[in-house]
Amino acid sequence: MKNISIKKEEPTAIRLQPDRWVENYASQLFGYTFARVADEQHAEDIVQSTFFSAWKGREGYNGEASEKNWLFAICKNKIIDYYRDRSRNRDINSESKGEEDIYFDHTGHWTEEAAPKEWGAVMEHPGEDREFYEVLARCTAKLKLIQQQVFSLKYLDDLDAEQICEALKITQSNYWVLIHRAKLHLRVCLEKNWLHLK
Amino acid sequence: MKSCKKATFLISKKEEGKLTSSEAIGLAWHLSVCSFCRSFERQTSFFSSKMKGDKVEYNLPDETKTRLKESLRKLMDR
Repeated sequence: MKNISIKKEEPTAIRLQPDRWVENYASQLFGYTFARVADEQHAEDIVQSTFFSAWKGREGYNGEASEKNWLFAICKNKIIDYYRDRSRNRDINSESKGEEDIYFDHTGHWTEEAAPKEWGAVMEHPGEDREFYEVLARCTAKLKLIQQQVFSLKYLDDLDAEQICEALKITQSNYWVLIHRAKLHLRVCLEKNWLHLK
Repeated sequence: MKSCKKATFLISKKEEGKLTSSEAIGLAWHLSVCSFCRSFERQTSFFSSKMKGDKVEYNLPDETKTRLKESLRKLMDR
C-alpha cells in the first residue's frame, strides 16, 4: 500500500473516507442507478466506476459538497456517459409512427380498455418502496431503449430538454413524443403490475 | 381541445413550463372536463417524482459489496 495514507496537512482529504465508501454509499448509489438503467450488471459497473473515478479524482474534492453528494454527482455523470455510449449505436428510425395510438380511438379519446383507472390512496401511502422500484425497473426495462434513456435522463435531477437532446442527439419534437410514449407505457405497466388493477 | 391524446402529450410540456398560452388554455379546459386525463396527470407526476432524488433504498447483497470493495482496494493499493 502506498500513497493512500491521509496526510494531516491536507484538510480536504480528511473529509473523504474511501475505505467506507462501499459500506456507506454502495447501496444508495446502486438503487439510484438501477432505477435508471434497469439492468443489474450495468448498474453495478456504473457504481464501481463511480468509486474508481472518485478515488482517482480525490485531490479535486474541495469539501464544498458533502462526500455523499460528491459521489452522487460523479455517478450521475457516469449514467449520462452510459446513455451517450449506447445512443451511438441507435437507429432513430426504429421509433415507429403512431405508437401511442394503441391507447386512443380515432377521435383521440381513451379507449375503454386503456383509460386510466382510479389509483386511490396508494399515491399518498405508496407502501413499500422496494416493491415499487422493482416493478418500475421492470416496466422501464420493457420500454424501447431510446424511450428509457429519455425518461431516465429527464428525471435525473437537473437535466432539461436541451441537455437531453444534446446528449442523445435527438430533436426537441422527438423528445416530447418519446416522453409521451414512455409515460403512457409506464403508467399502464404500473397499473397492471404494481397495483394489479385489471 | 377535445383529444385526450393531445392533452396527455401537453401534460409533459406543461410540467417543464413549455406550453404556449393557447395550449395552456386548451389543456386547462380539457382537464376540467376529463377525469381520465386528470388521473393521467396525477399518476404520471407521482411516478416521475418517485424517480427523482436519491431516496431509493436498495440493500445490495453482501457478495456485491465484497466485489466492489475488492476492486476498489486493488485500485487504492496500486
